[in-house]
Amino acid sequence: MMHIALVGNPNTGKTSLFNQLTGTYEYVGNWSGVTVEKKVGVLRNKQAKVIDLPGVYSLHPLSRDERVVTQFLLTESFDEILNIVDASQLERNLLLTVQLLEFGKPLAIALNMVDVAEGRGIFIDQTKLATMLRVPVVPVIARTGKGCDQVEHLLLEKATEQTEPLALFYGGTMERAIERFRAAWGTEEKFPVRWLAIQFYEGNSYVRDYVAEKLPEATWRSLYEQAEKEVQQAEQMPPAQFIYERRRSFVKEIIEQSVQRKEIERVTLTDRIDAVVTNKYVGIPIFLLAMYVLFQLTFDWLGAPLSDLLDAFFAGPLTNVVTAMLETIGASEFIRALIVDGIIAGVGGVLVFVPQIFILFFFISFLEDSGYMARVALVMDRLMEAVGLNGKAFIPLIIGFGCNVPGVMAARTIEQPRERLVTMLLTPLMSCSARLPVYALFVGAFFATHQALVVLSLYVLGVLLALILAKLFSLTILKEEASVFVVELPPYRMPQWQALWRSTWDKGKGFVKKAGTFIFGGSVAIWLLSYVGPHGVNVNMDDSFLAMIGGVLAPFLAPLGFGTWQAGAALLTGFLAKEVVVSTMNIIYHVPDVESLQGLMASHFTPLSAFSFMVFVLLYVPCLATVATIYKETRSRKWTMFSIGYALVLAYIVSFVIYQVGSLFGF
Amino acid sequence: MVAMTQLRVGERAKIVDLSRVSDLVKRRLLDMGVTEGAEICLKCTMPLGGPFMIENCGQCVGIRRNEAMNIQVKPL
Repeated sequence: MMHIALVGNPNTGKTSLFNQLTGTYEYVGNWSGVTVEKKVGVLRNKQAKVIDLPGVYSLHPLSRDERVVTQFLLTESFDEILNIVDASQLERNLLLTVQLLEFGKPLAIALNMVDVAEGRGIFIDQTKLATMLRVPVVPVIARTGKGCDQVEHLLLEKATEQTEPLALFYGGTMERAIERFRAAWGTEEKFPVRWLAIQFYEGNSYVRDYVAEKLPEATWRSLYEQAEKEVQQAEQMPPAQFIYERRRSFVKEIIEQSVQRKEIERVTLTDRIDAVVTNKYVGIPIFLLAMYVLFQLTFDWLGAPLSDLLDAFFAGPLTNVVTAMLETIGASEFIRALIVDGIIAGVGGVLVFVPQIFILFFFISFLEDSGYMARVALVMDRLMEAVGLNGKAFIPLIIGFGCNVPGVMAARTIEQPRERLVTMLLTPLMSCSARLPVYALFVGAFFATHQALVVLSLYVLGVLLALILAKLFSLTILKEEASVFVVELPPYRMPQWQALWRSTWDKGKGFVKKAGTFIFGGSVAIWLLSYVGPHGVNVNMDDSFLAMIGGVLAPFLAPLGFGTWQAGAALLTGFLAKEVVVSTMNIIYHVPDVESLQGLMASHFTPLSAFSFMVFVLLYVPCLATVATIYKETRSRKWTMFSIGYALVLAYIVSFVIYQVGSLFGF
Repeated sequence: MVAMTQLRVGERAKIVDLSRVSDLVKRRLLDMGVTEGAEICLKCTMPLGGPFMIENCGQCVGIRRNEAMNIQVKPL
């Protein structure tokens, strides 16, 4: 089967085009070595696979996901490139196209957003553009799917053609340097040496690493230094800038001949929205209001009624039907207890929160797709600068409210490595949706009249601690690195339902999957531990193995207000996934639904110790999946251990202070 | 020729000198087509010394005030 690589600048409608061309994903995975999303889909006629690459401005990478594209070109096998070009931003899009043409694989251009361009008075002569670039150009409107059929036809015809790489002339000095590189490198069959040489002189860090593997250090260093010296002398600028300027004048020439401009003075919708949303005075209040609406919708207006329905279903009809069925087939008491008290109580207690989690992910996807997220970075930059980070670090934190795992991954758009590290370390302090079941349980039992306020206080506590620690870390870990901020603000677009649903499902399905694996397994194990003790099976729970294990932790937790074996056992299992805390409690207190559990807990917790417990759950350690992601992203055992260690210490101190001070005041 | 921070919101200007901008920001600005000679418009500024939003050919970019201070422009 043919493999087609989809390459383009960020915010050019790449994902829309991918969705239009492929219908469904083949799979979503990660690029080897980095947790950058790799999406592969199959064309609708099933004849080729499309690989969606991260959006890049240039092949010369600045951030980590940008390296993936260069890595792909050099190391993976594929048949052709589909280059998506934003018609309204032709110049900067074609700068990337030139680099792709130099690479020499068969290439077709999908010219997107022709309608937007015409609205701005930019009229492109596609035939002229195609002739000048010597590649086919198909106008498309990726959002509506217009032109996508033609793209598909073209892709299938095109792959068999032989293509000559574009040989843009870079001037005598640069050409001599390219020749020297060619002589040192020798023959190469996989890709044009000329392309490699140009990227090498341009300072492409991935290509440099690649070259350094084959050529001795002295050779490539002297190649580079000689070129640097000669180009500087001849052109009064470093090679990277010179190469950029040369490409730019080539692109300008093409644009001059294929584009007609009409002056249209028009205030766009984006301008009008931005006049309000990024307004000097109301920008921040609007952001806070948006967050408030988002949380109210998720947890109160929409999410809570749905969750209640599900809970009633699990506790009532489902339990009854299953019990009846087990009786009919004559299952033993052991099996009945395992299924009803273990699995339904444990897994069901967590599945109840699926509606709220999906609603939250839906709104986060909406913010991302609409273009508002980039404005959030702009609006919040001043605050983040004060604590030593930049506005982009705020986005992983917001995504972290949904789930810490994609939050940690979202930090890769931050260019400075240290800022990225600190952002990853702090994201777990954001109260993710998996912690919500725990709050819901305790808040319902102890703070019935101020539910929303208490939950809000936990979210705010997480954010405040993250900001304070950011300041602390930036004075220590970040000391030698200046914070940098530059962000592209794409035009607003109404997100499409299909795309929204897809990305919501991609994010949310992990939670459902977790319920079927971790939480299922955890529930069975916990139930078994509570069913078996040193003196046999079906023991009183206080004599079970679970009570023994939890009992070891209890004395350490006593100063925090919850020194019971039940709390110890629940927290221990919560490392698997924080919602397992609720599963464990459901099993330990041996109750069919949330309401009776809340009644029972009143004898084990006071409102103060319940609050202290929730704070501890908020802070204590990132869940297993988050720890694994931090390890994958930092590739450092030290920082991964640190993320666990500092969180434990912080949780202990904060809960201790809350409980002890609260006790003093007589709560 | 003045620093970009001297512009009023809504004012258009031509970029004259980017050489004092930090490397990383300069690379990103080049990526987005904001180069010497490009025409920009100051769209808005954030309060308390917050970032600046500039527009170039219908494309908006946010940068910090201290970087904007290092960009020399000629008001149009």
